[in-house]
Amino acid sequence: MSRTHLSVVLVGTFFGFTLGMIGFGDFGELNAMFTFQDTRMLLAFAGGVAVAAAGFFVLDRRRPVRTRIHKGVVPGAVLFGVGWAISGGCPAIPLVQLGAGYLPALVTLTGMAVGMSVYRRVNARYWHIDAGNCSL
Amino acid sequence: MRDYWPWWLGALGLGTSTVAFPMLVGKRLGASGTWERVLHWRSELEAERADAVLDDMGAFEAALAAETAAAFGGADRPAATGTLMQPGSTPPAATEIQRRLPLSTQWLLLVSILAGAAIAAMVSGRFEWHADMGQAFSSVVVDGWLMWPVLFVGGMLVGVGTRMCGGCSSGHGLSGCSRLDTLSLLATAVFFGSAVAMSFLVWKVI
Repeated sequence: MSRTHLSVVLVGTFFGFTLGMIGFGDFGELNAMFTFQDTRMLLAFAGGVAVAAAGFFVLDRRRPVRTRIHKGVVPGAVLFGVGWAISGGCPAIPLVQLGAGYLPALVTLTGMAVGMSVYRRVNARYWHIDAGNCSL
Repeated sequence: MRDYWPWWLGALGLGTSTVAFPMLVGKRLGASGTWERVLHWRSELEAERADAVLDDMGAFEAALAAETAAAFGGADRPAATGTLMQPGSTPPAATEIQRRLPLSTQWLLLVSILAGAAIAAMVSGRFEWHADMGQAFSSVVVDGWLMWPVLFVGGMLVGVGTRMCGGCSSGHGLSGCSRLDTLSLLATAVFFGSAVAMSFLVWKVI
């Protein structure tokens, strides 16, 4: 267990805890956010971006690697948004749902795994989109 | 059951996670990219093995260069490294920065998020085993057995979509937007917009 592993566990646990405490795993809260019936989670998300932007500005001003806009951004984001709205799962959220005891989230995760694998094959064969990987 | 966090506390938590992750770990926080790597663990392990071989080759070359310098002189000129290094300067760490995180950190991140969420559910008195997705899902989206195909298809759309646009709500939404990355801002605007449109559709129409 290296220092990196320890950091991953610490920040990962804190991140999962935060998502759970905000209520991102609660489909009702999520739907209320997307239909603007409740702005609490919307403000938490936008505020999170603002806090992070301030944090990066103070602590780490190295210019990030600018990613090139590719043809997959808009169609990919549209599909993702639709999937998020009907399953409540942006890739970390089914884990949060599972952590709160919602077992059907396993089906969402299975669908996600199938989707990623299918996409990888189809893209390698036909589309050749170089979307990069946000966490690399 | 305790209330969910107020928005400002959530914002502090999300912001702290987004900044702390790259500061401590060296890479952006992004869940979909992490999933992608864990799912394709076989090719990832092969890549790690190839990296290890290259590392061995690097060590071998360095040892060879050192021996050559010892035997033929010129130890004060580290010409064998191929870079113009001044004596006493630190070697460039570029390869170290470019390196991907070991695969073990990736599944560990997913397990940690699950554990953190479970702790949150326990301390707020919300943990309970469910065979459904909650009352809101049943009343807004679908009720009964239709839940299973809807979740599966929704998951598939999330899988395809996040990989096609190269990130998700954490990688683009939090990490990218806070760095004012144009691609991330565009992706976030589009997936948020489409999620809003779809949510209104299932809420009002279906």
